[in-house]
Amino acid sequence: MLAIYKRELRAYFTSSTGFIFMGFFLLLSGFFFALTNIFGASSNYNSVLGSITFIFLIVVPILTMRLMPDDKRLRTDQLLYTSPLSISGIVLGKYLAAVTVFLLTLLVTCLYPIIMSFFGDIAVWEIVGGYIGFLLLGSSFISIGLFVSSLTENQVIAAVITFSALLFVWLLDWVTQGLPTDRVSGIVFAVILALAAGAFVYYNTRNIYVGVATTLVGVAIIVAAYFLADRFFFDGFIVRVFEWFSLLKRYDDFQMGILSLSSIVYYITFSSAFIFLTVRAIEKKRWS
Amino acid sequence: MIKIENLTKRYGQHIAVDNLNFTVNEGEVVGFLGPNGAGKSTTMNIITGYISATEGTVTVDGYDILDNPEEVKKRIGYMPELPPLYVDMTVKEYLDFVFEIKKANTKNKKQEMERIMELVKITDVQNRLIKNLSKGYKQRVGLAQALVGNPPVLILDEPTVGLDPKQIIEIRNLIKDLGRKHTVILSSHILPEVSAVCERVIIINKGRIVASDTPENLSKRLGESSKLSIRIAANEKQAVKVLRDVPGIKYVEAQGVKEPDTVDVWVEAEKDIDVRRPIFNALSRAGYPILQMKSMDLTLEEIFLQVTTQENGEVS
Repeated sequence: MLAIYKRELRAYFTSSTGFIFMGFFLLLSGFFFALTNIFGASSNYNSVLGSITFIFLIVVPILTMRLMPDDKRLRTDQLLYTSPLSISGIVLGKYLAAVTVFLLTLLVTCLYPIIMSFFGDIAVWEIVGGYIGFLLLGSSFISIGLFVSSLTENQVIAAVITFSALLFVWLLDWVTQGLPTDRVSGIVFAVILALAAGAFVYYNTRNIYVGVATTLVGVAIIVAAYFLADRFFFDGFIVRVFEWFSLLKRYDDFQMGILSLSSIVYYITFSSAFIFLTVRAIEKKRWS
Repeated sequence: MIKIENLTKRYGQHIAVDNLNFTVNEGEVVGFLGPNGAGKSTTMNIITGYISATEGTVTVDGYDILDNPEEVKKRIGYMPELPPLYVDMTVKEYLDFVFEIKKANTKNKKQEMERIMELVKITDVQNRLIKNLSKGYKQRVGLAQALVGNPPVLILDEPTVGLDPKQIIEIRNLIKDLGRKHTVILSSHILPEVSAVCERVIIINKGRIVASDTPENLSKRLGESSKLSIRIAANEKQAVKVLRDVPGIKYVEAQGVKEPDTVDVWVEAEKDIDVRRPIFNALSRAGYPILQMKSMDLTLEEIFLQVTTQENGEVS
C-alpha cells in the first residue's frame, strides 16, 4: 500500500494534475479570503472556508479523474493486480495519495489565518475545527471521485461524471428545503424506503421470500414507531432523513467550531463506504 | 509446478478459452503457440491472477489461484504483451517500485537490481525516463520487471514482439538461460521462435489445445509436405514443362516473374520423396540454370490446418 501511495503522490507532481489542483484551489480560496477578511475587514475566517466548499465541485474531479483510468491506459493494472498486493491496499493507497495532495493544499491556506493573526486576535480553535471539517468534507468528495473513476476507463468521462455526482450532492440540500413535511408523506416515504430495502435484498440474494420479509419487517417497524412510540415521529421525516445524510449540512457544525463526533464518524464511514464500493467495482470487472 | 484443469473463460456468448488441461513441470520451458485471438493471452492472464476463469482451476506449486492468490502471485513473474510501465518514472525508480510491490525488499536489493539490469542489458539507461526509451528497451524493462524477486515461474507473453532481429536473438538466448533456473511459459505466434527456445510446444486454436509435443516431433510430423520454391532462368512455359516431367512431383505452380528473365515456381512433391536432385538434373539437362531453391516454411495457418486435419482436433 505504501509503495502505491508513494508512486501516486509522485505522479501528481510529475504530471500537471497536482499543480492544477493546487493552483486552482489556492486561487479561489485566496480570492475569497481577500474579499471577506481583508477588504471586508472581518476576522471570521471560518465563513471563508464555508463559502469555498463549492470549489470541490470543480477541483475534486481534477484530482480523482486519473486515479483508476491511468493504470488502465498504461496497462500497469496488469502489474498491480498480478503482484502480491490486495485490491483494497491498492485502492487505499491511491485514495490516501489524493487526500494528501488536498491536505498539502490546505496547509498552504493556513497562511491566511496566520496573516490575520498579525492584525488582531483570531479564534484559533474555531478555525482548527473548521479545518478538520473541511478536510473530512473534502475527503468524502474525493472518495466519490475515486469510485466514479473506477467505473470508466476514460479520464474525461470520469471527470464529467464526478462533477455531476458532486453537483447532485450539492443540489440535494436545496431540494430538501422544498420537500413536504406533513405526517402522511413522511409515512409514505418510510414505506418507500422499506420497499427499496426489500428490492435491494432481493437483487442481491435472488430470493423473493427474503426480499418480501425485509420489506415486511420495515413496514412493521414503521407501524410500531407510529402507534407505540411517537406519533409525531413522521412529521418532517423526509427532511430529517435527507439532512442526516447530507454531507454539507454536517459541515455547518464544524464551521461554528463544534467538533461533533457523530459527524466525524459519518464522514469517515462515508469515505470507507465509497472505498469499499471501489474495491467491489474493480473485483467485479475482473470477474466478468 | 503449474497445473491447469478444465480452464474455461467465457465473455458472454464468446468462448475465449475452452476446457484447457495441461501441466508444466518444474524447470520446463513450454511454448504456447497460436494465432492471434487463440486464447494465449487470456490463459496467461488467468494463470497470473489478472482476470478470473469462468470455470476450472489453476494451481501453482500446490497453491490454488482462488484460495491463495498472494502465494501464487509471489511465485510468478509476468510480462504481459504490452509491458506495464509507468512512463513518468526512470528505469531505476520503476524497478524500485516493483521491488516494493512484489515485497522483494531484501537487504541485497541493490545488488539484485544491478544483476537484473545487467541481465537484460538496461544498466546504461537506468536513469532515463521510460517514456523516452525505444520499444526494444521498454520491452527489456518489462522483462526486468518480471524477474524482480526471482520468481520460480516466468510467464512471458510474446516477449520478442516489436524487436529488431538482433534483439530478438538476444532475448531468445536470455530466455534459454533463464529456463535453466526457472519454469517458463512463453507465448508466440512464430513457430521458429518457439522451437528455438522451448522443450515442449502447446498449440492452441480457438481456445482449445490442438497439439502438445516436443518441437522436434512436431516438425517431424509437420515436415511431411515438401514444398519447394525455385527461381529458374527460363520463361514460365519452358520451366513448367520441364518440371512436369520430373517423376515424384505432385503439382507445379508458376508464381510469375520476380526478377527479369527468370520465373518463380512452386513445386510440391509426393510424400517421402526427395525431388531436389531430379529437379536439378532435369533443369540442367534442359539448359535452364537454377538461381535459387529453398524449401518453403509452413505458415502457422498451414500448421493448424495440418494438425487439425491429421488429429481430427484430438489432443495427442
